[in-house]
Amino acid sequence: MNRRHALTTVSSGIGWLAFSALASANGLQSKISHHAARARRVIFLTMRGGPSHVDLLDFKPELIRRDGQTTTLGRDSAGAKLFGPVHPMAHYGKSGLRLSTLLPQIGRHADDLCVINSMQTDLPNHAQAFGQMHTGSFQFVRPSLGAWTLYGLGTENTDLPGFITLNPPADNGGAQNYGSAFLPAICQGTRIGGAQLPELYAALLKRDVAPGPPMKNIENKDVPRALQRKQIDLIRALNEHQLAKNGPNSEIEGAIESFELAFKMQAEVPEVLDLRGESEATLKLYGIGQGKDQFARQCLLARRLVEAGVRFIEIASPGHWDHHNRLREQLATNCASIDKPIGALLSDLKSRGLLKDTLVIWAGEFGRTPYAQSGDGRDHNHKGYSIWMAGGGVKGGINYGSTDDLGYKAVDDVMHIHDWHATILHLLGLDHRKLTYNYGGRDFRLTNVSGEVATKILA
Amino acid sequence: MRYTSFILALLSLVAGAAEHWSYQPIAKPVGNIDQFIREKTKLSPKADDATLRRRLSYDLTGLPPTNEKPLPLADYVDQLLASPRFGEKWARHWLDVARYAESNGRESNLTYPHAWRYRDYVIDAFNGSIPYDRFITEQIAGDLLPAKDDGERARLMIATGFLALGAKGLNEMNKEQFAADLADEQLDSVSRCILASSIACARCHDHKTDPFTMEDYYALVGIFKSTDTSFGTWIDSENNNGSHLLRLPGKHLTPNKSLDPKRVDQLKADLAKLNQQDKDLNAYIAKAKDENRDISGEFHKLLTETLRIYWTRGGVEGALETVDDQGNARALCMGVQDKAKPVDSPKYNRGELSQPGEAIPRRFPTSIPPRIPVPATQSGRLQLARWLTKPENPLTARVMVNRIWKQLLGKGLVRTVDDFGSTGEPPSHPELLDYLAQRFINSGWSIKAVIREIVLSDTYQQRSGQPPITDPDNRLFSVAPRRRLDAEAIRDSMLVVSGLLDTSRRPGSLVAALDGQSVSMIDFNTKLPPDLDGSHYRSVYLPVIRDHLPDVLEQFDVANPNLVTGERDSTNVPLQALYLLNGPFVLSASKALAKRAGSPEMAFKLCFQRPMDDKEHQLSRAFFSDTQTPPDQLLTAYCQALLASAEFRLLN
Repeated sequence: MNRRHALTTVSSGIGWLAFSALASANGLQSKISHHAARARRVIFLTMRGGPSHVDLLDFKPELIRRDGQTTTLGRDSAGAKLFGPVHPMAHYGKSGLRLSTLLPQIGRHADDLCVINSMQTDLPNHAQAFGQMHTGSFQFVRPSLGAWTLYGLGTENTDLPGFITLNPPADNGGAQNYGSAFLPAICQGTRIGGAQLPELYAALLKRDVAPGPPMKNIENKDVPRALQRKQIDLIRALNEHQLAKNGPNSEIEGAIESFELAFKMQAEVPEVLDLRGESEATLKLYGIGQGKDQFARQCLLARRLVEAGVRFIEIASPGHWDHHNRLREQLATNCASIDKPIGALLSDLKSRGLLKDTLVIWAGEFGRTPYAQSGDGRDHNHKGYSIWMAGGGVKGGINYGSTDDLGYKAVDDVMHIHDWHATILHLLGLDHRKLTYNYGGRDFRLTNVSGEVATKILA
Repeated sequence: MRYTSFILALLSLVAGAAEHWSYQPIAKPVGNIDQFIREKTKLSPKADDATLRRRLSYDLTGLPPTNEKPLPLADYVDQLLASPRFGEKWARHWLDVARYAESNGRESNLTYPHAWRYRDYVIDAFNGSIPYDRFITEQIAGDLLPAKDDGERARLMIATGFLALGAKGLNEMNKEQFAADLADEQLDSVSRCILASSIACARCHDHKTDPFTMEDYYALVGIFKSTDTSFGTWIDSENNNGSHLLRLPGKHLTPNKSLDPKRVDQLKADLAKLNQQDKDLNAYIAKAKDENRDISGEFHKLLTETLRIYWTRGGVEGALETVDDQGNARALCMGVQDKAKPVDSPKYNRGELSQPGEAIPRRFPTSIPPRIPVPATQSGRLQLARWLTKPENPLTARVMVNRIWKQLLGKGLVRTVDDFGSTGEPPSHPELLDYLAQRFINSGWSIKAVIREIVLSDTYQQRSGQPPITDPDNRLFSVAPRRRLDAEAIRDSMLVVSGLLDTSRRPGSLVAALDGQSVSMIDFNTKLPPDLDGSHYRSVYLPVIRDHLPDVLEQFDVANPNLVTGERDSTNVPLQALYLLNGPFVLSASKALAKRAGSPEMAFKLCFQRPMDDKEHQLSRAFFSDTQTPPDQLLTAYCQALLASAEFRLLN
């Protein structure tokens, strides 16, 4: 009997039944959505720092023409100089979508990309904008997009967390960006991965940099599985007794669920995280084993997690995109680190028939100014910026919305964060006005009191 | 209420930045804690005695209560405040705020093997009731204060480690950039930590929402640029910014690594050789230049040789600096001193070093009183400390009492404890905040006095539970919060109940005993426990290595030591369950608990400080009805289940 079989057999004891009951009580079983869903799951590629839309996704001939001219757009009353794209942009695919030539592999999927050029967020500060991108609020602790998704749709695999975030950045709000706030604790993102071995030492010692992100405490040599099952049943009973005695407590309810899940993860996780079973061709496609490949591994892992039924997966880009200076060099470095893995992820999802119901999102917390900062960089810009989405029921090969002639401010089909969240939920079969949670007497939504679904981008 | 505060916050964005509430003078409201709270809500009934004593014990010492003869409550509070365990608990909070760590983090994560002295300094400061204004002054300008003897001098030098502990871009090749970033990090930490303000945002442009101009920023930066920082990482292939350490006067416990005297001789010989090679190389290049000979063909070879000498010599010099001629480890610390000649910093256009503007004389932001001049002959750190700690400064006292309130009541009166600026939240009880700030100042900045007043209030002592519908977020403190214990308290409690806790102070730190300075080698050091634990000292003594934290701290949301953290996350995820089920530390504590208790009843009593009730008896009996598992193993498994149960780590 192999390890996994043994574990799953043991797990169908009393505890499992209790978990199933709890899962349905809390609504984590797969649920029926508000309307027909186009996407069943999400891979959110977070480009922290604010990538420059006018260099990557928003082509502005006027900006190229006026390169070097003084403008009064910025906050510097003396005026700043307009700054054209630092690398050329080209047409890609049948649709002829314009993208930076720094993104050739992603460009191969141009006909699947829905580029939104009219994004807006409320503040040009990293922490607030990063928080708003994740939770809709720049000021309050609110549930994250992933938590709302899991709350709304439940999980497709009760042996794995439904929301996984890989090596998330610790700053800009940290765990709040994958937190559940007042939603049930089981909805929060489970963080996988920490520091990996530097390549140099790994090669020297003939050790793997990381066979997938590291997962600690997944094995136990002291306690046999049947005994551990008994332990978990006892812990659950003690916890439920506490609830009965002292009334509802989300910390205890969350603990009951997380122990059941942890028990089952021991069977499932090592297999999902182990990338060694992947073919040479796949590893090569992603660029795994070729220099710095942590992000490539994460992208491949995202596909494996998607296949395993994880509802929401978030990956943070390896570098940050906060290019206040040396934009030309830094942008090239950052693009080089993400282009191939993301291109591979899109190809891989497509060839496995997963892209049609997996929504892939590429987004930073804001964009950058069309004028220069420190001569060769750009400042933050929240008034207009671009992101892209692919698969999961969005129209491919299109630009949606637009900024003014210089790429400074969104003017047509403006897509505020609330609108964007509403649209994502819509694609997932959820009505953002009906996906509510009553907390302290008020019904809360991801989109607060606004949000319009951008129907034009629905395929 | 929620909408009101939101609108207030928005209004404050619109209103002139200097009119923001936190920059106004501290008022002198009349009343007491409970009166201010009761003006807005009805308090819940008092918690029962056992719950309250457990709450007090954890809040004041971070440990579960002991079963001694119960003292009257006020005396119990005094006993806890006088316990050496108090400092170990409250120092950890300050260490979070001070972004304390024993390694640099970032791209070049090199260890700080002497940082632990600052940790011990903070613990002693809390236990020794050093007034907060003095505590701040010591950390910013301890080196400039008079000292009566070597011991006091050393203590004050160690205090300034606060300014040296931050994360730095050690691989920065441009020295001027490194110095600018170092000063920026110091200024940012001081302002976030003590003022909950983001003055450093004004590095590239006037602050967008708060009353800090670029001139304010560069005036303060001059103070730090007039300061020499000793952080003690030596030059190697990962590090282009070496630094010395400060030698402590007098005798000190020094558990850092000593060297064999032969090794010292060898290092000295190596250094002489490297110096000679360096000289020869320079002479060779100079000669070629004199003779107008083209050596560009040898460029690669010469460069390799130069780098070899540069990097190797860094390590040799660094090692020699840490020991005396006999190889005994020297007593060293991280910290700061004034530079011989103070300088004013230019105002750099958009923060760019390539665009220096006029020099800005050192001074303090004009939007915050008091006005204190900086003498031309000094860095201005002493004056900075005075500016921060004068009662007229509207922020320092408010920020600290709010931090204390947050630790005891779950949330701050200002919920954004590290942000009192316009992007933060306004206080829920402005009068109470000012009342506490005044009490704090009038008590002689006594942290213990503020804690004592809060924990003896009805507000603190009320029952915990669900907030009423009229106060759904518990913003008005209508109930005591239900909290999960901090990572340190969870681990310490396991050590207490299993009888393993060693309450003595760990001499130094695991980091002090490491070979070499690169954190990336830690994974390959087979002498180290993989979870970086393996000791039975209190958790405050666990190593704090940036991006490489001990398992228990990492899993249970310890503060990220790269950031000023007044409020930790509190997550509830399956990885914690995996740690409690499979972590080696928990398994060993379970074994020790089983051995110590001998019976399920006793184990239960030890864990929860109460006997089992009927239902718990029944669950216990059912668990032990298993006849196939050996009794010892069964009891150990039972003990582990108790340690992993929610009651063990929740505070009511």
